[in-house]
Amino acid sequence: MIYQTDIGNQRIAQDFDQILVWSAILLLSLGLVMVYSASIAIAEAARGTGGYAAHFLMRHGAYLLIGILVGLIAFQVPMPIWQKYSFRLLLLGVLLLVLVLIPGIGREVNGSRRWISLLVVNFQPSEFVKLFMVIYAADYTIRKRVHLDNFRKGFFPILVVMSVIGLLLLKEPDFGAFVVITAIVMATLFLGGVNLKVFMGLISILIVGLLTLIWIEPYRMQRIVGFMDPWIDPYGKGYQLSHALIAFGRGEWLGVGLGGSVEKLFYLPEAHTDFLLAVIAEELGFVGVVAVVILFAGLVVRSFVIGRQAAMQERHFSALVAQGIGVWLGVQALINMGVNMGILPTKGLTLPLMSFGGSSIVANCVALAVLLRVDWENRQSMRGFAL
Amino acid sequence: MRNSSKSGILPGGRSRVLAAVILLGLIGLAGRAAYLQGMHKGFLQQKGESRYSRVVEISAHRGMITDRHGEPLAISTPVESVWASPKDMEITTSQIKKLAEIIGMNSAEIQKKIEGPRRDFVYLKRHLPPEIAARVVELNMPGVFLRREFRRYYPAGELTAHMLGFTDMDDNGQEGVELAWQNDLAGKPGSRRVIRDRKKRIVEDIESIRVPRPGRDMALSIDSKIQHLAYRELKQAVEASKSKAGGIVVLDAQTGEVLALANLPVYNPNNRGNIKSERARNRALTDVFEPGSTLKPFTVAAALETGQISPDTIFQTAPGTLTIGKATIRDSHREGPLTVSQVIQKSSNVGSAKIALSLPSKTLWEILSQSGFGVSTGSGFPGEVTGRLKPHKTWRPIEQATMSYGHGISVSLIQLARAYTLFAAEGELKPVSLLKLDAPATGERVISRATALAVSRMLEMVVRPGGTATRAQISGYRVAGKTGTAHKVEGNGYAKDRYISTFVGYAPASSPRLIIAVMLDEPSAGQYFGGVVAAPVFSKVMDGALRIMSVPHDVPSNNIVSFPAARELGGDV
Repeated sequence: MIYQTDIGNQRIAQDFDQILVWSAILLLSLGLVMVYSASIAIAEAARGTGGYAAHFLMRHGAYLLIGILVGLIAFQVPMPIWQKYSFRLLLLGVLLLVLVLIPGIGREVNGSRRWISLLVVNFQPSEFVKLFMVIYAADYTIRKRVHLDNFRKGFFPILVVMSVIGLLLLKEPDFGAFVVITAIVMATLFLGGVNLKVFMGLISILIVGLLTLIWIEPYRMQRIVGFMDPWIDPYGKGYQLSHALIAFGRGEWLGVGLGGSVEKLFYLPEAHTDFLLAVIAEELGFVGVVAVVILFAGLVVRSFVIGRQAAMQERHFSALVAQGIGVWLGVQALINMGVNMGILPTKGLTLPLMSFGGSSIVANCVALAVLLRVDWENRQSMRGFAL
Repeated sequence: MRNSSKSGILPGGRSRVLAAVILLGLIGLAGRAAYLQGMHKGFLQQKGESRYSRVVEISAHRGMITDRHGEPLAISTPVESVWASPKDMEITTSQIKKLAEIIGMNSAEIQKKIEGPRRDFVYLKRHLPPEIAARVVELNMPGVFLRREFRRYYPAGELTAHMLGFTDMDDNGQEGVELAWQNDLAGKPGSRRVIRDRKKRIVEDIESIRVPRPGRDMALSIDSKIQHLAYRELKQAVEASKSKAGGIVVLDAQTGEVLALANLPVYNPNNRGNIKSERARNRALTDVFEPGSTLKPFTVAAALETGQISPDTIFQTAPGTLTIGKATIRDSHREGPLTVSQVIQKSSNVGSAKIALSLPSKTLWEILSQSGFGVSTGSGFPGEVTGRLKPHKTWRPIEQATMSYGHGISVSLIQLARAYTLFAAEGELKPVSLLKLDAPATGERVISRATALAVSRMLEMVVRPGGTATRAQISGYRVAGKTGTAHKVEGNGYAKDRYISTFVGYAPASSPRLIIAVMLDEPSAGQYFGGVVAAPVFSKVMDGALRIMSVPHDVPSNNIVSFPAARELGGDV
């Protein structure tokens, strides 16, 4: 606190959480490399790319630049502003989710209407809704903290919000995003000190609800069956997962080497997006997979630590936002990796910070920026600066 | 809840619990990864291989065929064939056009091929040179692939075409030596395991399952230089005499190896587009003809063997005709009383018939049969004919008479050449070999040495003044041989003015090294006697071949005696 006159370098080093920053940079960089490796063959063969091998690399790189740029802007926004606009952001999210369902505006790919076409790029609202939900849930929990023991006053409002968003997401359908958002809200309520009995009741309702949704929609049932044993129908329902698992098996401990994947040669669908981890597993082996797991663990741990620091400084909203972001990235990574390894049903969720996808990368970068903002505010107030 | 007082409303314990849950999840994932990548990998890799590893065949290199000195006669060169898997093809019409341009087809042809009933494998164009194949690769079209194959190339072209035969597109022998020794030459294709991507392109070699076993190289008995000489002279003679066809066989008199063998008409084996069977036939082995007077020495040999006659026994051939039943045998020149030697020298049909009729039919039949007529030479050449020698019990006197001068019997040129080993190898019949022999094959004695030498002396007289083939003489070597001019068989009788002219002989007569049989089918440029059209081919080839083989002279080189043309025209038929 007395070293304010230090040169810039040191200031920066002290102003940011080193583990968090480096975990993020490594994940983003490894993601960029692996997206390129996984997409070369696809890019060369696809009609829309003109046979340009670096098609996805260039785009992913551009998304990263945009993400960093937007992240830099987001970093400038003080946390109270996020809190102030939390409900309006939620409304914006709902609006986007409605827009995406309108034919002509929303674009349908593979039977899902998840994208809004913006001339050159497709914009995926659900990725941003996750961020808005983190902020809204944090604000909600703080506002309703006195009612958190009460189901009607404490839970019912956010249950309505979640139902609306859930319905909209399921309409696309984007079941994966719905699961992540549910996890974010539940985790935020849990961290906010909700009554455990009520919380457990809510969890039970959710589990029953999720199971019901799965039973109603036959395609989800198929995904469940496919995930249980892909070798029953390896060329049909189990096709994608069986190839992901083969990629893991081929990778062994040290991998077949960067660029050596066979699965990415048109066998494994979505190799550069949802199933990027399988390509990492094949090319970089168990070592590569564990590196990714450790980096995500670092990310999650630091976000929780930053959250605790904010909580200690009585900035509860910031604390819940930080931890909500940790839950978001952590849970989504867990689900994506679980899907890749065949312990969770196939979802359509990207691997945060790594998979190819503009909206996902930009939303993740903004989330990181907010996290760093919380951290920065923590450090500033520790030094005695007014925020 | 320890921190709840400090952090106010947010219980710190809960965040620790939640963080721990997520971390536990991550640890669980790492464990799952360890299971998949460390323990379960065998199963998974096997599943993977069943999906993208395939066994592909590797063509085996076909054995080379060389002449007796190792000169290549048939070699295999690597070529690339373009094939397509239509169901994996994703190409636009402009790409098809480009491909068509490179491989020299038109777009419609390609379109037709890929729309055919086969959906997984169709050849677009086979046997392309590597540089053109490289341009196909550059197009990088999904579903279009190359396959390494071998194409047969015959450096000597039509020179050795009949001997070697040829292979088809799939490198299987179709004719000649290529067909006869297919199993030895072909080798065994190998196979290797590869990884293919989902578009069936090979991306990685895993292992070699079976190394292709290349075919065995083979050395033929052919001597390229003699072959070249024989072909050249035959061609000239066929053209000069306007013959329909012709053949020449050069045998090693001691071993029975075929040193040269050529026929006309012939084809170019390197251009397999349109080989007509008319040209593809190796006539020397697969066609028969009536040999005419070239058979007389065998009649004489049979008679000498009985001991009842000697070379000086006299037969009356005047007035040049002999009537047996309704048929009449004629000489082309009237002679008076002739010794047996003179019957051969002047080729008297009447003399020959009288000698034959003095013998039991069985004796003559035995000599002819043991000389290899009517049976295969055992050369192994595909489609070789045996000729026809009627059983002696069915012979009528007129048949026995005409048989003595080569009518009513059919032989192949190689049979005829081989039969002369009797006189060149002191009474032994040598087996014929198309392959180079390491050790000379043992012959089979047919006639006594004395008889063989006696006949050989008569055959020498044929090329001397007073004989029918003075044009067969060679400077520096003694030559023995026999002319033949036979009317061609037509329907049930003989054609009046169409002949088969032959000359069979060997040299040096003192110690024979080569036997050459020449046959011209329907010479129609005026001259048709064997002594005029076939004998010069013999002498040119024999002369050249003996020089090529550095055979020492057995007479001074001023031995050639020219003689009035009238006598040369012999007395055949």
